[in-house]
Amino acid sequence: MNTILVWLIKVLIIYGGLLGTAALMTLAERKVSAWIQHRKGPNRVGPCGILQPLADGVKLFFKEEVLPAGANRLLFRFAPALTALPAMMTVAVIPFGGELELFGITTKLSIADLDIGVLYILAVGGLGIYGIILGGWASNSKYSLLGGLRASAQMVSYELSMILAIVAVIAVTGSLDLREIAQAQAAFTDWNIWRQPLACGLFVVTMFAETNRHPFDFAECEPELVGGFHTEYSSMKFGLYFLGEYSAMVVMACLATTLFLGGWSVPFVPEAHWLLGLAAFMAKTACFLFLYIWVRWTLPRLRFDQLMGLGWKVMLPLALLNLFITGALLSLTGA
Amino acid sequence: MALVKRKELSLAEKLYLPEIARGLSITLTKMFGKSITRQYPEEPLPTTAVTRGQPRLVERQDGHLACVSCGLCEAACPAYAITIDGQETDRPIEREPERFEIDMLRCILCGFCEEACPKDAIFMSSELELADYDRASLVYGLDQLRRQRPALQRRIDYIHGINERW
Repeated sequence: MNTILVWLIKVLIIYGGLLGTAALMTLAERKVSAWIQHRKGPNRVGPCGILQPLADGVKLFFKEEVLPAGANRLLFRFAPALTALPAMMTVAVIPFGGELELFGITTKLSIADLDIGVLYILAVGGLGIYGIILGGWASNSKYSLLGGLRASAQMVSYELSMILAIVAVIAVTGSLDLREIAQAQAAFTDWNIWRQPLACGLFVVTMFAETNRHPFDFAECEPELVGGFHTEYSSMKFGLYFLGEYSAMVVMACLATTLFLGGWSVPFVPEAHWLLGLAAFMAKTACFLFLYIWVRWTLPRLRFDQLMGLGWKVMLPLALLNLFITGALLSLTGA
Repeated sequence: MALVKRKELSLAEKLYLPEIARGLSITLTKMFGKSITRQYPEEPLPTTAVTRGQPRLVERQDGHLACVSCGLCEAACPAYAITIDGQETDRPIEREPERFEIDMLRCILCGFCEEACPKDAIFMSSELELADYDRASLVYGLDQLRRQRPALQRRIDYIHGINERW
């Protein structure tokens, strides 16, 4: 009984936190873009515009739902959920902190501790692309279809490099368990960003491609494809895509934190209190989330052939090289 | 036909990374720059004596309008925005407008009425905002056009200054 209750509370808090962060990200995106462009950004709804996501959500609910002629009704309705769901499912295995004791109950700060957490995230997170392809296809619109096709080609190209970058990290740690990977980086000098700098760089770049963010947002690509895969989507179905995309960004940032920045470890403070550890985790994740926005408002979009060229001719060889060097070093040192 | 010779890129340029870092540093420094947004309804643009806003009628200190309904502004108005009906009074100034209407939707803010007026009775104010839900309410009558002299003083002084130069 108690374990179920604890588990339920953890699910509520973590999912609430994920959705809240995703909503705040939409605000942060507009705020940061405004600051970069010497504007003020949304500041009318609530103090400093903090309630803007709420207003946006209400607006989306009241928008008319448009079903394009000739659209595949079932898939058209199903696709947004298929994008949002995997993004939200992957957060289940992210370890937000170590063990904590509260009201006499000891628990770990994550919904589930899978032995193969990394695999789970890659497998379930990879499903998200189906929502984009199906949404693009079911819309019966050339722009949507092109957006979906581009997204699929891009995801396949970059997922490979991403996995190879992660494999190097796994090789160093010797575990697929995200909690163990984080624990192996408890000391500041042990962070994988120092031990695997190339993998970290590769992961960050592919992270942008995986979440369809600038400069790799070819699924959307508004100057060429109107809105890409979500051209025909309106109302809350569009909102669900949006939510899924931002949730995926948050989860990716969490994953990057766990894999390369030592998870909840606080630099120079061994055996930190769990609250401090949680704060450290959130701060590191926030850095990655800021990077997403910062890069979006700095770099122009690549051309599609450049994107594919970068993926197959640069990222993949680099990832393989990194894996080779890591493997060679590991076997030579006999670790 | 012009042939464009492309410069051979150096390794640093081919890598893009230094340039990406440079771009990121630019956007980061811009982030802490001062916002140039003017939050309009709360922060209106500053007006000057030269600002030619909507025409307003000057009210003398005795509470009567300076206007004697001579009709010169009506005649000068290129947009036919002004309509005046005059009436006689018992005061030393024998005439005043019974009706003085400016159709603000027709007014083009040219300032001809101000120039035509022999009695310093109509001036271009610094009031610029004009919005309502129907056309009829934007035909301003005496009540809406009447302004105390101090409210228009800056413009009055400016026009007098100009006239002295002639």
